[in-house]
Amino acid sequence: MIVKIAFKNIWRNKLRSWVVIIAIALGIFGGLAVISTATGLSKMRQNNAIRTYVSHLQLHDSAYLKYGRLDDTINQQADIITYLEKSKKVKGISPRLKVESFIQSAGGTSGVILNGIDPEKERQVTDLNEQCIAGNFLERYKQKPPIIISQKLATKLNARVKTTIQCSFTNNMGVPITGIFKVVDIFSTSNSMYDELNAFVRLEDLQNLTSIQGSHEIAVVLHEGKEVEQFREELISKFPNQHIASWRGIAPDLGYADKMMDLVMTLFLIIIMLALAFGIVNTMLMAVLERKKELGMLISVGMNKRKVFWMIIWESIFLALIAGPLGIFSTYLAVNFFGRVGIDLSFAAQGLRSIGLESTLFPILDDKYYVIISILVIITAILSCIYPALKALKLNPAETLRTA
Amino acid sequence: MIKVTHVTKTYDDGKVRVEALRGINVEIKNGEFTAIVGPSGSGKTTLLNIIGGLDTPTEGNVIIGETNIAQLSENQLIDFRLNHIGFVFQSYNLIPVLTAKENVEFLMLLQNKSEAERDERTTKLLKAVGLEDQINKKPNEMSGGQQQRVAVARALASKPDFILADEPTANLDSASTANLLDIMYRLNQEENMTFVFSTHDQRVIDRAKRVITVEDGKILSDIYT
Ligand SMILES: Nc1ncnc2c1ncn2[C@@H]1O[C@H](COP(=O)(O)OP(=O)(O)OP(=O)(O)O)[C@@H](O)[C@H]1O
Ligand SMILES: [Mg+2]
Repeated sequence: MIVKIAFKNIWRNKLRSWVVIIAIALGIFGGLAVISTATGLSKMRQNNAIRTYVSHLQLHDSAYLKYGRLDDTINQQADIITYLEKSKKVKGISPRLKVESFIQSAGGTSGVILNGIDPEKERQVTDLNEQCIAGNFLERYKQKPPIIISQKLATKLNARVKTTIQCSFTNNMGVPITGIFKVVDIFSTSNSMYDELNAFVRLEDLQNLTSIQGSHEIAVVLHEGKEVEQFREELISKFPNQHIASWRGIAPDLGYADKMMDLVMTLFLIIIMLALAFGIVNTMLMAVLERKKELGMLISVGMNKRKVFWMIIWESIFLALIAGPLGIFSTYLAVNFFGRVGIDLSFAAQGLRSIGLESTLFPILDDKYYVIISILVIITAILSCIYPALKALKLNPAETLRTA
Repeated sequence: MIKVTHVTKTYDDGKVRVEALRGINVEIKNGEFTAIVGPSGSGKTTLLNIIGGLDTPTEGNVIIGETNIAQLSENQLIDFRLNHIGFVFQSYNLIPVLTAKENVEFLMLLQNKSEAERDERTTKLLKAVGLEDQINKKPNEMSGGQQQRVAVARALASKPDFILADEPTANLDSASTANLLDIMYRLNQEENMTFVFSTHDQRVIDRAKRVITVEDGKILSDIYT
């Protein structure tokens, strides 16, 4: 009965109730929209980093990570590659031989890591080929072995496509070795540190130069990003002597972004709830004050305070119960729609690219936020009408009836 | 039976002191049909509020049946009002969002009466006040007189010991006033329901069987007609 009266009461001032309901719904929508956009941006940055240079997983020999010596190659390479190629979860693998080297052109010098890669395999793992401006990737042409350097390094070395470059290092015996390469392409990713430090040559060229077979690193990309940690466990149990890291371990900053997002979202949720609470306190206080006489009458004829209290509480629960689903449902529709079509940010494409983002944003909203928001809305609604409800209990029936 | 002894009521807000009642002694027996009259500000409403447990006396006792209501806590008073006293106010009697039927039913719901009992009694009471064809109307769809009749039916619904009505006809035209008085009078005659009401209206005073005149917070006269 009290619940029924409460429900009817909220429609007494239809305009006011709708204003509050729509305000709450908009608050929820706005908050969730920001959260989903931010999540989308963060995911996009992660995916870009994973796709361009981190990959899902990287395998190294434990000694290589410790000492970084040339001959610390992956010793079970054949087994590992066979295992990875068999696995249905794996989309691509790329073995790399890495050599710290001194790089030199007629125009300048620098330090760099030479990555010996198999272009066909690398294509399966990273989109380095797409980041190349000339589109040659590592095509072999003429006699000199090809090399790809970054735009950044090219500027430093004053090199262009077709420039000849000399790389020198000492091998594991301490013998100085020099290789001559021809720049066949120039790449540029969103990570300028990475760009400056890495250059790519063909795996067999580097193996010949160093007289080392095998590789130092195997980069792995899976079909499903979600399976990374689980697959890592699987690999660790199979190949306990290898050091196997997921992208979270390799590029912890990408993971920190997740943590930051959580913080920002918590803050956002608090702001939404405060706005919601403010709206409800205001409305319910007005509703109580303008019904003083009626509430006084109810107490006079014998409605006890507990029931009066719950009547007011129910009124605001109903407001939240109407507004909550409205806001959540409209968010759901919007997130689903834009999650499919994407939000076009091409007007800011230039700036976005420099921080590792693309021009189409796909908002993402974890299901858990719908649940969290729903629960928070109800709790906030109840908490914020306690004050108005207590105000109603303080009414003195004789007093309220007397004042005309 | 209502027994008021040595009741005084002083309002004191720190600045102004008003002695609204100065020593009231009165007994109202079951089945009486009593009017409390007197000039404005004489203390009629204050007296009715104290008898009805809506306000507490500064001094003195109010005994209803066996209970000294001056000694009840606030929550006990609310329960006592629900089960022992029927109220009809000058206005704002009804819950605007509920129909006539639901308004009458309301107190019985608070008393946890069964649905069958509620239905039966609501129908009977609305018939007794002549509103059997208005049961599904909301207060704002009824005239002032009809609303007051619903209020009387509502007051009776909880089976109170007596009904207190503070100027129940003040907002009514003369036809509605006569009609409401007829209904109250008949309920008093046929059901032996006790009514205590205050009024300024001579036509209402004429219908009372006992007239208590209050002036300056004291009983000036007490006449059975
Ligand atoms: N809460 C209050 N605070 C201070 N004084 C009050 C309060 N309530 C009533 N009074 C005073 O007590 C006196 C009695 O008031 P009461 O309302 O009982 O008179 P009444 O006989 O019902 O008058 P009316 O015919 O106008 O309704 C008046 O002087 C009134 O001003
Ligand atoms: Mg009065």
